[in-house]
Amino acid sequence: MTGDARWTRIRELFERAFDEQPPDPAVWLDERGIDDWQVREEVISLLRHHAAAGSFLAQPAGDELSRLMADERSLEPGQAIGPYRIVREIGRGGMGRVYLAEDTRLGRRVAIKALAPALTADASHRERLRREARAAAALTHPGICTVYALEEIDGDLFIATEFVDGRTLRAEIEEGRRPDADEALRTARELAAALAHAHGHGVTHRDLKPDNVMRTRDGGLKILDFGLARLDGTPASVDTFVTQPGTVVGTPAYMAPEQLKGERADARSDVFALGVLLYQYTSGAHPFGAGTPLATIGRIIDSDPDPLYTHRPDLPGSLIACVERCLEKVPADRFTSAADIVAALDGGGARRPRGSMTIWWRTHQLVVIATYFLACVLAWQIKEWLAGFTTAIFITAGITATVAGLFRGHLLFTERVNGAGLAAEHRRAMPVTLAMDGLLGLVLLADGILLSGARPLPAVIAMALGAGIVLARVVIEPSTTSASFRR
Amino acid sequence: MSSADRPAADELLPAVYDELRRLAGAYMRRERPGQTLQATALVHEAYLRLARGGRPWTDRAHFLGIAARAMRQILVERARARGAQKRWAGLDRVSLTASLAAGANADAMLPALNEALERLAQLDPDQVKLVELRYFAGLDIDEAAAALGLSPATVKRRWALARAWLFRELSGQR
Repeated sequence: MTGDARWTRIRELFERAFDEQPPDPAVWLDERGIDDWQVREEVISLLRHHAAAGSFLAQPAGDELSRLMADERSLEPGQAIGPYRIVREIGRGGMGRVYLAEDTRLGRRVAIKALAPALTADASHRERLRREARAAAALTHPGICTVYALEEIDGDLFIATEFVDGRTLRAEIEEGRRPDADEALRTARELAAALAHAHGHGVTHRDLKPDNVMRTRDGGLKILDFGLARLDGTPASVDTFVTQPGTVVGTPAYMAPEQLKGERADARSDVFALGVLLYQYTSGAHPFGAGTPLATIGRIIDSDPDPLYTHRPDLPGSLIACVERCLEKVPADRFTSAADIVAALDGGGARRPRGSMTIWWRTHQLVVIATYFLACVLAWQIKEWLAGFTTAIFITAGITATVAGLFRGHLLFTERVNGAGLAAEHRRAMPVTLAMDGLLGLVLLADGILLSGARPLPAVIAMALGAGIVLARVVIEPSTTSASFRR
Repeated sequence: MSSADRPAADELLPAVYDELRRLAGAYMRRERPGQTLQATALVHEAYLRLARGGRPWTDRAHFLGIAARAMRQILVERARARGAQKRWAGLDRVSLTASLAAGANADAMLPALNEALERLAQLDPDQVKLVELRYFAGLDIDEAAAALGLSPATVKRRWALARAWLFRELSGQR
């Protein structure tokens, strides 16, 4: 009998005996004429073990999940790890626990991250961590926590970094204090600049979140955990993910759609995470907030963020537009790297305070609306002086002035309350104002020609007004607009 | 399954987390305090692993099989990372059988159970699937029967056999 056939036979006999519960399996097998001793012995052995198994595997693994999912050991204060003496635990993260320690060689305080054994079990993975630590150690920027060393002590891996004394942005967000517009802009710029430095060195963070950003005692910001970053060009295979269980748990809320779908992550995924972070920092809410973490994942993948404007109407339009562009679903629609965010913030707000140039755009709009009113009054007066065709001209002037005036009023309103949406509204309004202003200019010209014989002075005023409206639209408006809203 | 009738990844994703949430529900309905976070963590990890793996599944039963396998891998890796093998090797052989029968030491047992399952897979892969669904994904007899397309009575018999076989392997007796 082959092995497979024998096993099938054993299984059949076991299952029948399981149903019939014979008092003596040996006798029961005799009765059925089973004489293959290997089959007999196996069935009897399995029945005996079944009887002895008690509650073996009776409770699913999930019942002990809190113990089974834990993956780190802890170090005690005073314990020496190589040259480092542990002072106290200061945090826990996906990669393991973090301790404040003293480097006894240099007498300075450092942060020691004890990497969870799950991350370091496999040799190729340790090699990857070494490479990443090397890349992170090459980053020197006031906004990035400096990596000092990767230590291998008794088979465990430790990353020694600068000790940042302060509190996380997470704590700041949870405290409930929201930054004012200036502070929000400054924070966004500082973080984007630090990220840009890393991107410039080919290092992406891949796990940017408020827990990984510290506000130091002197008010500066530092991004932690660049040790996690993957060097551009290293493929993210299924296996690297599999051997990195801890790193993703709890953070999908900051992962870009492409990361959630298991596609390649790059600098633009960091840009997405920065968008989520800034959104939360300014508003206290998650842009894709939902009841459960899984529902949040779902919203990140397939729905638009709640408009930041509804939470913070007072923020500069440039910052709102910036955050919203970071949160685009398709990487190509986002900023290519953090350096572009810095440029956008500088161009849109930080360098040139909002309001100094937009005042000219607003004045332009108000003056044009006043001119429309004047044109209508003049057309009415001309109709009174001169019967005939002028009535039709007056009606046309009234309609075009009303339509164009409404659109301009709408733009003024949009600029005040929803700066981020102005560009789109402006694109929509442009053809309308062009057509209306053109038509109004034409009919005023016609009025002027009709009136020129009887009353030359008002005729000239009508023609000048018409020409003025057309020129203001074609020549002046494009320049006031671009001066006010150039990115 | 050909590529033509395989749904796009985008369409599959909502289905994935709905199913995983249902699986997590199997854990959560036991209502142990402090479990919800861990169950959510496990589901996240399984979800991301499935998304990365990009393996297409044909139907719910097939999906459950893949998810249960992912949960087995995650839990075993975690146990290994905590040094479960060392603790397992340090356990006293005499008291081991008794503690296994009492359902204790699940933590230290996982890597050894995983190896036993690998041996069982050589003999009877269907038995391994059943163990993954029952023990790692937490399905009850009826749910496992539906997932495997078998009658509950058959599943009950097979489950008894799998438990007996694994119990013998782990308690180290022949």
